Amino acid sequence: MEIQGYNMPDELYYEENHFWVRDDGDVLTMGMDDFAQKMAQEIVYVQLPDEGKALKVGKKFAKVESGKWLGKVFAPVNGELVAVNEELETDPGLINEDCYGKGWMYQIKPDDKGEVNNLIHGPEAVEKWVLEDIEKYSKE
Amino acid sequence: MEAKYDFERKYREQILQCSRCGFCQAVCPVYGLTLRPALNARGKMLLLKEVMDGKIELNDELIETLFQCTTCASCTENCPSGVEVPEIIKQVRKDMVHIGSCHPAFKGMNEVLKSHTNIYAEDEPEDFERERNKKAEYVYFIGCVGSYREDESTMSTLDLLDRLNVDYTLIDEACCSGVLEDVGYQINEDLAQKNIENILGTDAKIVITECPYCFRTFNNKPQYAALRENGIKVVHISQFLKDLDFHVKTDKRVTYHDPCDLGRHCGIYEEPREIIRKIASDFVEMPHHHVDALCCGAGGGVRGAFAKNSIGMARRRLEEAEEIGAEVILTECNSCVHNLSNAKLRKQKFKIYNITHFINELMEEA
Repeated sequence: MEIQGYNMPDELYYEENHFWVRDDGDVLTMGMDDFAQKMAQEIVYVQLPDEGKALKVGKKFAKVESGKWLGKVFAPVNGELVAVNEELETDPGLINEDCYGKGWMYQIKPDDKGEVNNLIHGPEAVEKWVLEDIEKYSKE
Repeated sequence: MEAKYDFERKYREQILQCSRCGFCQAVCPVYGLTLRPALNARGKMLLLKEVMDGKIELNDELIETLFQCTTCASCTENCPSGVEVPEIIKQVRKDMVHIGSCHPAFKGMNEVLKSHTNIYAEDEPEDFERERNKKAEYVYFIGCVGSYREDESTMSTLDLLDRLNVDYTLIDEACCSGVLEDVGYQINEDLAQKNIENILGTDAKIVITECPYCFRTFNNKPQYAALRENGIKVVHISQFLKDLDFHVKTDKRVTYHDPCDLGRHCGIYEEPREIIRKIASDFVEMPHHHVDALCCGAGGGVRGAFAKNSIGMARRRLEEAEEIGAEVILTECNSCVHNLSNAKLRKQKFKIYNITHFINELMEEA
C-alpha cells in the first residue's frame, strides 16, 4: 500500500518507531520502513550486535545513524538475535536503496511468535498510524 | 587590485608561501582515503591562488573541496613553509557562507543552534540521573556528542567522578558552538551567554570537560572571556585526572588515539599517557602517534557533512590499531570515540573507550 508517497507493504508488521517485521517461518526479519528511511535520509551507520543477544520487547538493542540523526532500534518481540545483515557494515545505504529487500537489518528467533500481533498490522491500522505520523513530523 | 575576500586579505602571503612540495599530501587524512589531490592542503591552496588570481570563482562548485577538511592540522605540522591551513580553511568557509555558498549540513547546523541548545536538534536531554546547577567545587561540562551520542561513556565518566568523590555539578548546558567557527559561521552569543551564566551560578572555580573542542572554545574564544575574567579555569579531564591514583590495572594490550583537538591543537599529549601507564602494563603506540597521529576523520564538521568519508578515515586509523594487536583503544574525545566505534568492523575485536570510561569499567570489575 502506498500512503502519500510512502511504500508500506500490507503483509508486514510494524513497530511504532517505523521498523518493519516479516514472518519468515522460524524467524522474524526486521528492517527500517520507507517512511523512516526517507525521513532519516542517507543512513551512514547501523549497529550490528553479536548474534545470540537476548532481546526484550520494547528495549533498545541497536542504533542507526544518518548524517545528523540517531535512531534507536527497539526489540519488537522477546527473543534472540540470530542474524544481522553484514552487508550494512560497509554499505548502510542499502537501507535507502531497498529497505524491504537488500537493506534488511536483523533476524530474530522469537520466544513466542504470537507477539507480532501486538505490532501495527493490516491496511487500516497502518494507514491511520502513518497518516498521524506524517502530520506529526510535518509540524517539526 | 583590492582583495575580494577576507581570506585573501588575511592569508594571501601564506597561500603564496605554499611551495607545492606535497609534504601535506602524505599526512592528509582526506587525501589518504580519497586519493584526490584537490582535497589535500596543497590542492586547496592551489585553488585559492586561482581564486585570488581571478581565474576561478569562489562558488558552490568548491563546496565539496573546501568544506571537506577535518582541520586536523597534520598538514600544518608538516609544512616547511609554515602555512596555517586550518585557519585559512575556516576563513574561506566564512567567505563562502557570506556569498551564499555553504554545505547544507552546516547551514542546517547554524539554523538548529538558533532554536536548540545542541547540534542534533534533540529536544530531550539525557538527565544522567544527576542534579544540575547546584553549588559545587567543579562544573562538569559534557558537550553535545557526550550528551546525545556517547551517553553511555558520559554516564561512566560521571560514575568515575563519583567514585573519586569529586564535588561536581552538571549544568543546563548549551552547545559551546565553537564548531560554528569551523564551518563558516560565528559562535552563537546567546548560547555562550547561557553557558557563562550557568557556570557562574554554581560558584565553581574549575570547569572540567572531556570534550577537547569545548575545552578549546572556552579557553580561546573571546565570547567566553567572562569565564577567565571571573577566575574560572577550564581543564580537560585528562589534566584533572593525571595526578590521581586509581588502584586498578589491566593486562590487556592498550593503545592511545590522540584526538587532533587535544593533541595538535592544544599540545596535550602526555597527560592521557600518564594516566594510561598507571592502569595498563602493556601500552603500545600505534605507528602514528603524538603530533603525527592520524585523524579519526570526524573533525571540522566532516562527520556531519561527509559521513561516509569520515567513517572511511576512521577505518584507516583502526587498521593501525589492528596492526599492533591492540585489545583496547583509548582516547579522550567523544567525537573520536563515536566515529571510531561506528567504523569498527565486526571482525575487529578490540574495544574503543574514553580513558575515563575504561577506568570506571576496571573499577567496577575490581
